[in-house]
Amino acid sequence: MTYPSQRVAYGYFLAAVLLFVLQITFGFVMLAKYLGPDPLLNTLNFATAKEIHIDVLLVWLLTGFMGATYYIVPEESRTELWSERLAWIQLALWLAIGVTTVVGFLFGITEGRKFLEMPLPLKLGVVIVMGIFLVNISMTIKKAGRFTATEGVLVGGLAGVALLFVPGLIHFDNYTLDRFYRWWVVHLWVEGVWELVQGGMLAFLLIRLSGADREVIEKWLYVIVGLSFLSGILGTGHHYYWIGTPYYWLWVGGVFSALEPLAFLGMAMYAYSMLRRSRLSHPNSLALHWTVGSALLSTVGAGVLGLAHTWPQVNQWTHGTHITTMHGHLAFFGAYAMINLAMITYAMPALTGQRDEARQTTLGYAAFWLMVAGIFGMTMALGAAGIVQTYLERILGYGYLETQQKMQVHYLMWLFTGTIFAAGVAAFTWDFVTAGVPKRAGEVPRAASAAEAVA
Amino acid sequence: MTRASSRRFFFVGTALFTLVFIGLTVDTHRRLGSQTHAENITPEVSRGLRVWGRYNCENCHTLLGEGAYYAPDLTKIVSQRGEAYLELFLADPSRFYSEARNGRLMPTLGLSPQEISDVLAFLGWVGQVDTNGWPPRPIMVSGVAIRDVPDVSGSAAADDPVSRGKALFNGSAACSSCHSIAPGAVLVGPSLAGVGARAAAHGEGYLRQSILEPSAYLVPGERFATPQGVSLMPATYAQTLTPQQVDDLVAYLKTL
Repeated sequence: MTYPSQRVAYGYFLAAVLLFVLQITFGFVMLAKYLGPDPLLNTLNFATAKEIHIDVLLVWLLTGFMGATYYIVPEESRTELWSERLAWIQLALWLAIGVTTVVGFLFGITEGRKFLEMPLPLKLGVVIVMGIFLVNISMTIKKAGRFTATEGVLVGGLAGVALLFVPGLIHFDNYTLDRFYRWWVVHLWVEGVWELVQGGMLAFLLIRLSGADREVIEKWLYVIVGLSFLSGILGTGHHYYWIGTPYYWLWVGGVFSALEPLAFLGMAMYAYSMLRRSRLSHPNSLALHWTVGSALLSTVGAGVLGLAHTWPQVNQWTHGTHITTMHGHLAFFGAYAMINLAMITYAMPALTGQRDEARQTTLGYAAFWLMVAGIFGMTMALGAAGIVQTYLERILGYGYLETQQKMQVHYLMWLFTGTIFAAGVAAFTWDFVTAGVPKRAGEVPRAASAAEAVA
Repeated sequence: MTRASSRRFFFVGTALFTLVFIGLTVDTHRRLGSQTHAENITPEVSRGLRVWGRYNCENCHTLLGEGAYYAPDLTKIVSQRGEAYLELFLADPSRFYSEARNGRLMPTLGLSPQEISDVLAFLGWVGQVDTNGWPPRPIMVSGVAIRDVPDVSGSAAADDPVSRGKALFNGSAACSSCHSIAPGAVLVGPSLAGVGARAAAHGEGYLRQSILEPSAYLVPGERFATPQGVSLMPATYAQTLTPQQVDDLVAYLKTL
């Protein structure tokens, strides 16, 4: 850790990891209900467990992104944070909003719009917290007078996250219009500005871990995020096929979302070629595993599995089945969970004042391989469930409930592979919390490592 | 290619596609009113949308195929099952379903009668939205089981009225979403196995009248009608089916 104020990232990472555990816990609650019978039917129903599962996902990923930014920006701009204290206050506010939201859900206080269930006053709180974050980061960069393309893409992405949250605050009486703008938030986040965040974090990690030339990395970074916007903005149309919007969205959405894998493919090729050209072998190999893993699994999960059902002629049959669940799980994990876990794994030795090679633990590697094996198995189980559902319910016309009973065997596979994944999450969490905590102010920061000196 | 040119690619490309997207959004706003029958968004429909949100319906169900995948899609539910049945169902789902028999059961949400009628108004409006032909064939809540493999070989374009009637029964009229043709299999409405013979006993006109005026003859059973003697079957087929279609359905039902 070059700058003491970077230690605030540890607080964000700790919160992110604990929220990840909470997310997975509620995933198992839902899975138990899929397998049935449901003893909690009228106390904690599926819908409540589901909104906690998906909203905590968004919150922990954003917490990780903000922690990563507080770690990256001081190094890129070569300065202390403008206000470390403000960053801690921001974290406290952010978590207070998050906890209030989850407790509210348990008492049935919800807007009931998938991914945007948080009640309006708390949403306004999120806007304020994002504002505090962006001010702190902007002032840090302004103070330093040094602004790199890597942090530009990262911070630009997070500013986009805040901006695109605004359409989610508005209510429409026309349900079709309500859906239309809900996707401005959800789609333009995960298939738009979040890709900037992922790209920025990936570029930072590649520069540090491979020692590749910044000029080359940043040149390709612009190409990749350019491709993701080029396909992703009009690719929003793949959500506008069947919700009561004009027919031309079938063409627009189909053609442009079919191009979306290009950005992810570019990202994977970029990570691979940068590492091949690398001049040094970084001692934090585990962070490299997560970084390359993110580039590869986002290509498969978001790119290939998205393409598999994005074309309207396919989507008319698969829309609203577990085919979507299959794609969603691997896409979120590969693109956004893994890049966060990569950043955490990269930063932990420095944050806790240890050498780069100090955190290459067996438990850390076990966490990586268990999570990768588990999510791969879950994707297979959900893919099989989705194909069965599409064929029986949508094509042959069997009843929904009868089809669900035929899918029980796939839900058992989901439970089995999900348990492997959860073991990985437990290993990661234990490895994280036993790694130590940042040194207090006044203690001598560790000397910059070889990799940081090269960069 | 230099970093400056790749940066230009990013900024110019993003600006261009954002402009196209905003243009399409403006056009969508222009056409949305007629495509969604916005003139039918009454105060009840608006209140129903809020009920839909407040009770977190879409974190179990899908609507227009969007939501969660733990419970059936409700896009066409009002035309499939009718308001009379749905009112009783929403007040107490366990009256019609059980976990032991159906695998899943909806929680009893404690909706007020007003909330029930609002949310049904909302769902009825959603059912009218022009969804560009989705779903390509009706999505059924229950009713067609693996054991009685559905024979949907009837054709809407056939010369034979029985074949056309069968296609209607399993297709656009969605009779099969409530009525099984397997003996003793009660879904929502009574099983129609052997209805041809029963109809012959009641005399000419029984089947036709039962389709157009469901309350005219009631099959015994508290699941099929309100205590006031009103059938739970939608009484809307006189408006939604042509006389030719009713003839075709009757021809098919006589063969059961």
